[in-house]
Amino acid sequence: MDGVLILDVTDVTFRYPKASRDALRGVSCAVRSGELVAVLGPNGSGKTTLVRVALGASPPHAGTARILGRPAHTWSRRELARVVGVVTQHEDNLFPQRVRETVLLGRYARLSSWGAERVEDHAAVTRALERCDVDALADRWLWTLSGGEYQRVRIARALAQEPRLLVLDEPTASLDVRHEMELFELVRALVEREGLAAVVVTHDVNLAARFADRIVLLSDGVVAAAGSPEEVLRHDVAASVFDWPLAVSSFDGRPQITPLRRPS
Amino acid sequence: MALQRTKALPLAHLRSAGGGICCMRRWAHRTHLAGWLLALAAGACRSSADRRSTPDGSGALSVVDDAGRAVVLAAPARRIVSLAPSITELLFAIGAGDRVVGRTTWCKYPPAATAVPSVGDGLDPNVEAIAAQRPDLVVLYRSALTESATGRLAALGIPTLVLRHDRLLDVGRTARLLGRLTGQSSAGDSLARLIDSTLAVPPPATIPRPRLAFVVWDNPPMTIGGGSFLDELVGLAGGENVFHDIRSASATVSLETIAVRDPDWILILTDSAPGPPAWSTRAEWRVVRAARARHFLYLPAELFGQPSPRTPEAVATLRRLLEAAR
Amino acid sequence: MKWLALVGGLVAVLLAAVVLGPAAVPLRELTHSPIVWQLRVPRALLGLLVGGSLGVAGASLQSLVRNPLADPFLLGLSGGAGLGAVTAIALHLPGSWALPLAAFVGALGALGLVFRLGLVGGAELDPRILLLGGVAVGAFCAAVTTAIVSLAEASELRNAFLWLWGGLSGASWDTVRVLLVYLPLPLLVLFGAARPLDLLVLGEEQARHLGADVAVVKRRVYLAASFLTAAAVATAGVVGFVGLIVPHLARSLWGGRHRSLLPASFLAGGALLVAADTLARVAVAPRELPVGVVTALVGVPLFVLLLRRWTAY
Repeated sequence: MDGVLILDVTDVTFRYPKASRDALRGVSCAVRSGELVAVLGPNGSGKTTLVRVALGASPPHAGTARILGRPAHTWSRRELARVVGVVTQHEDNLFPQRVRETVLLGRYARLSSWGAERVEDHAAVTRALERCDVDALADRWLWTLSGGEYQRVRIARALAQEPRLLVLDEPTASLDVRHEMELFELVRALVEREGLAAVVVTHDVNLAARFADRIVLLSDGVVAAAGSPEEVLRHDVAASVFDWPLAVSSFDGRPQITPLRRPS
Repeated sequence: MALQRTKALPLAHLRSAGGGICCMRRWAHRTHLAGWLLALAAGACRSSADRRSTPDGSGALSVVDDAGRAVVLAAPARRIVSLAPSITELLFAIGAGDRVVGRTTWCKYPPAATAVPSVGDGLDPNVEAIAAQRPDLVVLYRSALTESATGRLAALGIPTLVLRHDRLLDVGRTARLLGRLTGQSSAGDSLARLIDSTLAVPPPATIPRPRLAFVVWDNPPMTIGGGSFLDELVGLAGGENVFHDIRSASATVSLETIAVRDPDWILILTDSAPGPPAWSTRAEWRVVRAARARHFLYLPAELFGQPSPRTPEAVATLRRLLEAAR
Repeated sequence: MKWLALVGGLVAVLLAAVVLGPAAVPLRELTHSPIVWQLRVPRALLGLLVGGSLGVAGASLQSLVRNPLADPFLLGLSGGAGLGAVTAIALHLPGSWALPLAAFVGALGALGLVFRLGLVGGAELDPRILLLGGVAVGAFCAAVTTAIVSLAEASELRNAFLWLWGGLSGASWDTVRVLLVYLPLPLLVLFGAARPLDLLVLGEEQARHLGADVAVVKRRVYLAASFLTAAAVATAGVVGFVGLIVPHLARSLWGGRHRSLLPASFLAGGALLVAADTLARVAVAPRELPVGVVTALVGVPLFVLLLRRWTAY
């Protein structure tokens, strides 16, 4: 049974100003509630650009990007923040902050400039902390957290926005095995238990294969393959996209990629 | 003596965007004594060096200047570069004006001096321009900047004389000194006697003595203290400087201090036509009785700027003004 | 409670500013004395308004340019103000308000220049450009000012620099009234930007995703903080360290949430400046120290204490 169509990117073409080539060409991607979509591809294939265009940050030159039926660029920042929670690749906290404070920032889109935080805001924060299993850390300073804990706090902040879609840009880039798995398990749980939609941009092909419902594999600005992990991660497609000899095996019913060594 | 470049106040707020502004050096035009206070050098130094000149048998003249240096000339100076207006004036006054071959841009008195080529502003002496005049004596006002210049001139073999005259007493002494070095001893001595005698005339004994205060700048209010010759002038003219107790030549004071000391008259040094200064209409100055009543006395900056041969005239002018003000 | 202590401290400092001074005014004459009512009270109020403005401007700017060393005077405004003042003197503009007005206009001119620089090439107020542009514009103005001063003859020009250091001497009820009319708008704009500033501290991209209209917020904060600083410079010259240190002091006690940080910075900045001014008036009476000297002498040790607290974490 299909979930609600949240993100609908159809045939978009986009080129950065003063660039000589299109960054995206005829790319389509749809994300429904209750599903986890992984966006994969080598560096420079257009993963981050796709997210930008999908969220209306850069209007496409051709094609459409819609969120909940409306063109993405017509959403105001504030409206969009009530629907989409984004955890970016980099964050740079200038001044020391506690966990609870930073998660509270997720309520911005639902607060007025002058009004104080209400009971429901604090309740949303507490719920978000619990769902991400960081409520025990609520009064800690951010800089005392480990990488994994910190990422979970950022997801909690995104959850505090009470979004329908979560977008995570390379969330496990610097995490160790345990924290990587914990993070993906968390996102998977949110998608299955609460019906959230999730888009995860990642370099980790194997984790994506284990946890995602669908994969969009980009190569040089076009969709090289899209569909279930089995459909996408086939030897011929994957090896040509990643430009490296691969072996494809199966684990737990999901394809797993192993890059081969060059013969010496 | 008149010109003095002073260093910025210790708080050079180097970070502020102006950056440069706060590190700027303060300029004190000879008519504007405000710079004196800012000087880390002003006021405090009074050289008690013994200045003798001993013509010895060979005709050589040897003196000790205000920096404690021995200056020896083989013969009376014939080509003199003067780096302070008061010194230029003195040289002309003792009849050595024809020997002045270089002056600063500020040296405008007497009028004949303007015919002499200028070697720059004298605050940071332009050694090249000075040397170009081939002087056999360079007279400088003592300050931190001129010290380095004396070194450079010495390296070029040019004798330098460093003088400091901040007080009225210094005028006579300087006149004698310059007289000896230029072979105009008698003129120097008689000028010195004239000045000293004028200064020895007791001030008119008006009871009570008029209470006066200089206001050199309004924001922050700057006044002249007991360490300066203007204070001496006031005393000679029969008045009383309400800030006589401040030891330095000039100082920043609170507006309320001025209000509480309540001078009868406010003295303004001005280059241009006399008239109430712009700040006198500001609301905060109305607390000062003399400002409220527009009791201002205007002193020509040119005449009152520094001790000079015309100082007796300055004293007389001030006495007249005080008389008329009563 | 912290707020009570802050407000109490401010009130105490204001009272001290009114009661203490180089002129001995007996307590029973306080309410009648023109020195108190025409000089000390307006001066204390001016200190509160200027110190408060600098504190708030500093806190906002530190968050805006994402640099804990930012100070309101890094934007080139003081250079512009100096140039304006010197121009007013050189042109012999009449009126007792000519200097402050010209300084204000000069400051705004510098602001416009830096703002324009910040927008070049679609940069949209990149913090690094703002900082570097501010330093460049400030240095340029300072250079032009020095050139004018060194080439011109007017003796008063030298003292334009004195004015820039002027401090609170020019305080009167007129000055206070003008500021009371002028300051509320930029202050309100900054207080209203408290929440977006909280987001901005996370980085512009993340702030955008959390719902902040980053471009608009940056513009508003930059302009409002600059207008506050321009008014401060025009009325009191360049008073250093208040805009830099007060936000850090406030942050160490109130945390980074701008809803409390900004008002705390206002009150603390006002208290610091008034206290410094009182000290400046009284310490070497009958002479007066420039207030910028005292804020540095008082501010730097406080800052060092703060640094030690940070490194003790």
